[in-house]
Amino acid sequence: MNADGCYPGFSELNRPIREVVTKRLIGVTAGSSLQEGVAKMVEFTISSLVVTDDGEPVGLITDADVKRAVADGLPPDTPVDKVMTTGLITVDISTTIREALETMSRQKIKHMLVTEQDTIIGILTLRDLEDMQRQRLETYISRE
Amino acid sequence: MRIFHLSDTHVGSASDFNKGTLYRLLEAIAESECDVVIHTGDVTQSGRRTEYKRARQMLSKIDAPVVILPGNHDARSGGLHLFEEYIGDTSGVREIGDAVIIYVNSAFADSDQGRVGMVKYDMMRQALNEYSDRPVKIIALHHHVVPIPRAGRERNVLYNAGDILDLILSGDVDLVLSGHRHYPNIYRIENTVFINAGAASATKTRYGDVNSYNVIDIDGERQHVATRRVDGAVQEQSFSRRRRHIFSSFGRRVFRAVQVSNSYISDGRAFLPQHFHNAVDAIAGLQPDLMVHCGGIVREGIPQDYDVAARELAKLNVPVIYTPAGRDINYLGYHLYATYFGQFDQAFSDGNILFQGISSAQYDSHEGIVGPTERRAVLDQLAAAPEHMKAVFLHHNVLPIPHSREKGLLEDSGDLLRDLVDADVDLVLTGTSSHPFAARVGGTVVVNANSLSSVYQRSLYGNSFNLIDIYEGAIAVFEINSLWGRRRLLGIWERNHHG
Repeated sequence: MNADGCYPGFSELNRPIREVVTKRLIGVTAGSSLQEGVAKMVEFTISSLVVTDDGEPVGLITDADVKRAVADGLPPDTPVDKVMTTGLITVDISTTIREALETMSRQKIKHMLVTEQDTIIGILTLRDLEDMQRQRLETYISRE
Repeated sequence: MRIFHLSDTHVGSASDFNKGTLYRLLEAIAESECDVVIHTGDVTQSGRRTEYKRARQMLSKIDAPVVILPGNHDARSGGLHLFEEYIGDTSGVREIGDAVIIYVNSAFADSDQGRVGMVKYDMMRQALNEYSDRPVKIIALHHHVVPIPRAGRERNVLYNAGDILDLILSGDVDLVLSGHRHYPNIYRIENTVFINAGAASATKTRYGDVNSYNVIDIDGERQHVATRRVDGAVQEQSFSRRRRHIFSSFGRRVFRAVQVSNSYISDGRAFLPQHFHNAVDAIAGLQPDLMVHCGGIVREGIPQDYDVAARELAKLNVPVIYTPAGRDINYLGYHLYATYFGQFDQAFSDGNILFQGISSAQYDSHEGIVGPTERRAVLDQLAAAPEHMKAVFLHHNVLPIPHSREKGLLEDSGDLLRDLVDADVDLVLTGTSSHPFAARVGGTVVVNANSLSSVYQRSLYGNSFNLIDIYEGAIAVFEINSLWGRRRLLGIWERNHHG
């Protein structure tokens, strides 16, 4: 066992998110239609999409943004940049899981873009962290 | 920044090392104008005081910052404490300009095996976090982390190579320097360049090779590696340091494959029927063009398990191709496999993509081997389909898998991996050690599957199978939890990007 009292791979709140974040993001280009964006979210079964303009991230579309757009009666050809959330809340890749969770709860958000040297390189979702805990439940089910 | 990388000097008797070669190499160091010299171990032949004295006397001629770490030969004869006495610390961190060099002792007394223990693993992890904003991060250790070709049977590997590889990739390390196998080799894996040095002055070289060393240049955008042999031959490779994180252009999806391993179907408690049934439903719902089962179909090669497996797998209404694990062909399984699931080397082609099976399993053994004859046959089959996208699948791993003891499960993984990467194979699917893993080696995406439905699995995310979606512009790989159906992205890579 290591200094954290756990073997590598186990979820420890004091570990940096670098060790759990997938450094890949699925994006959609600004100007694409809402329908194209949602089709991508369905294709990849993901709850958020990064909107890019000339390769640079300019916003984020989440399930909640899509629901709001439909509720507001926006047509499917609405550009994604009209629906996306801007003013992105980001977290540095060296931040600990504990600090990231605290920021998420304080800001009441479930997705945070992850930066390294001010470049967006990944996304951390609450579900990623929940999924790591799910194994304990599964182990319990397996024993039944 | 310029790094002079040498390894395996094996200072000892005249039959062990070429003294003249080492002296010429010291001259090359003096002329290289390098910023640092990194010696990745086996400084001495057998860890004796006389060898250490002589090595120190020779290496003290180097007029540049030096990082030297021990190898398995240095740990012989109780030699590790002499390493500290004559050479210096066996592990540590050095800062040279923009770079941080984390060097680790992977040797322990009187064993050729390698091991990075939990304390050193933690030291590496903490150093990577502490220096995470450094423009250049280098890890140096004696034992190779990934299999090395042309060096004989894959053995003497790092016990926990899978965890070390995972740490290196998640820590965005730029360079990993090692030695040990006496044969030079370079891979780019994801964004990390793994450089193995040949023997600098040991008389024992592999594959008819001669002594060699590496000169590595790093600037803001590129890494350049020159492998210089004493016969004057120079091999050069360059790697871009640019990294891509956001993928927007996928194009049309052209193929969907599901990769499954270690189902362990049986009527015993090692098999998790609810996991299996939920996964079968999920796979049917995904409507894949093909399912590839990478071995471990049954718990044991006995008629009862094969009966259950045939009944359960018949529920899958998708094309399936199989390759066996050792356990599938134990006992009567050798005959039952052929009866129930067909030939050992199965293949699939739709005219655009070729999946070629490689049977690596042997009965009564966990270890796998492909062998030079079959390897050549597979390469010939791949070469005969030049217009196809190419995928191969086998049970045994070609890259170390996290949280599992790396035993060199595939005896010729070094040669196989090199040949598949050089043949520009797009996908390599494996299914051992029951932990998901995916990484691109050169232009080849290597994907390992977790156990679908056995209690013997190692992932925090639970049992799973992999979904491999091939688009015109990219390959996306997800693992899908067997019980709940939750997806987790393992990686996305641009297609046709070799090198």
